[in-house]
Amino acid sequence: MATPSNSCIARMSGSPRFLHQVLALLAKDLKTAWRTRAMFTAMFVFAVVVVVVFNFAIGADTELMRQVAAGVIWIALSFASVLGLQRSGQLDSEEDSLQGVLLALQDRSALFVAKMLAQLLYLLVVGGCTVPLCGLWFRLDLLACLGALCVALTLGLLGLSIVGTLFGMLAMQTRACEVMLPMLFLPVSIPVTIAAVQATTQVIDGKSLREVADYLVVLGVFDVVFFALALIVFDYIVEE
Amino acid sequence: MPTWWAVMLVVMVFPGIYACRNRVFHALVLGLTMHIALLLVFLYAPTEQMQGMVQKIFYFHVAAALTMFGAFLLVCVASSMYLWKQAEWWDAIACSAAEIGVVFCTLVLITGPLWARPIWGTWWSWDPTLTLTLVLWLIYVAYLLLRLETSAPQRARFAAIVGIIGFVDVPLIRWSVEKWRTLHPKPVLVQAGGTTGLTSAMLLTFLVCLGAFVLLFFYLLRERVSLAQSQHALAVVRQEIDEHCAG
Repeated sequence: MATPSNSCIARMSGSPRFLHQVLALLAKDLKTAWRTRAMFTAMFVFAVVVVVVFNFAIGADTELMRQVAAGVIWIALSFASVLGLQRSGQLDSEEDSLQGVLLALQDRSALFVAKMLAQLLYLLVVGGCTVPLCGLWFRLDLLACLGALCVALTLGLLGLSIVGTLFGMLAMQTRACEVMLPMLFLPVSIPVTIAAVQATTQVIDGKSLREVADYLVVLGVFDVVFFALALIVFDYIVEE
Repeated sequence: MPTWWAVMLVVMVFPGIYACRNRVFHALVLGLTMHIALLLVFLYAPTEQMQGMVQKIFYFHVAAALTMFGAFLLVCVASSMYLWKQAEWWDAIACSAAEIGVVFCTLVLITGPLWARPIWGTWWSWDPTLTLTLVLWLIYVAYLLLRLETSAPQRARFAAIVGIIGFVDVPLIRWSVEKWRTLHPKPVLVQAGGTTGLTSAMLLTFLVCLGAFVLLFFYLLRERVSLAQSQHALAVVRQEIDEHCAG
């Protein structure tokens, strides 16, 4: 049985070795993703499909489109996130590559941090491509609120990647991964969805960061609480 | 806050009957409390002036909701204990409490709209309390599904993780949903300053009702845990037989 990582935060701050392992694992994942580009293509195309389908569900009312744009963006990103997690889970289970990584690791929370950062990077790239497209289609003036929008996107996507990575690794080891992952991930990430959608809507409407601070605090607290919790319980997910 | 003390007293004292190990005695006390609760609700408690008969559902709705929160808190505590101690018994408690919690949560979700239709004029509204209950239902149904979809060595561990995460999520969901408009009635049980919006007859009826629900919960929990332990013992015997035959 692996030791529970009660002191993982202490280890993280004090150990250059931990950082080294995280960076090595992250580089491995990003290299694999860069070589095939399948991860990005799948997530991005799926996000665009979701936005387009929603567009037909909303109808042609321009004002209505503006109002629901943020919601559509976040639903597309959540769904794309589920897709990406399933793909990265498949890659890990091929030829037991995850077992190999686990054997080489002293502190398994390094694996969680690396996977989470990789997922965050995929989502940021997908978000960075999808949001401008939505801006065009829904006629939003995104340039005026670029800075605030980036803050809201990053905080929200960080929350999605933390919860997503945790449940992704868990669902991967169940019999029905494709059912269990969205069933666990979507309800638990509801605070992120609500706060991120509200913050994005208001930012698009021209409010400043200070005016949406309430929602950003919700996102920040969610990120911190779940990151700490994930580090504590992650050892039990990858335990043999 | 005398009302909270009364509620805490009921929650602490009623399950005390389980100190006695006689199952017939448990069933008798449970049956008696449920009958007294019904009599109090329909014959003793005064009918509310504004809402009329419909208000009576409050006694069942709020009692079930409090018991449901207790059940999910128990899931979180038992899950943490399981990860710490790795004892099968804690997993049996968590699993049983989650199942019964989902049943009570379903009751809350049914009795709520029944009351809301005549009073609010709508079956459902996305107010914080309703939304939180619905999301809790979804999370704990996913918890039960996860137990079905995972095989033995990992089942208890994975379920424990979801049991903890689900409960930690509760305040965060509540906080984020609270940004919306609130339609749910302000708590009448305990109001600002520790006073109560209920008459003393209503409060007494409510406390007996709460006691009946808490007793029912522990009765079902005890039965379900002993079932889970039998299942576990059976699985162990099966495995031994398989190993014996193979060897």
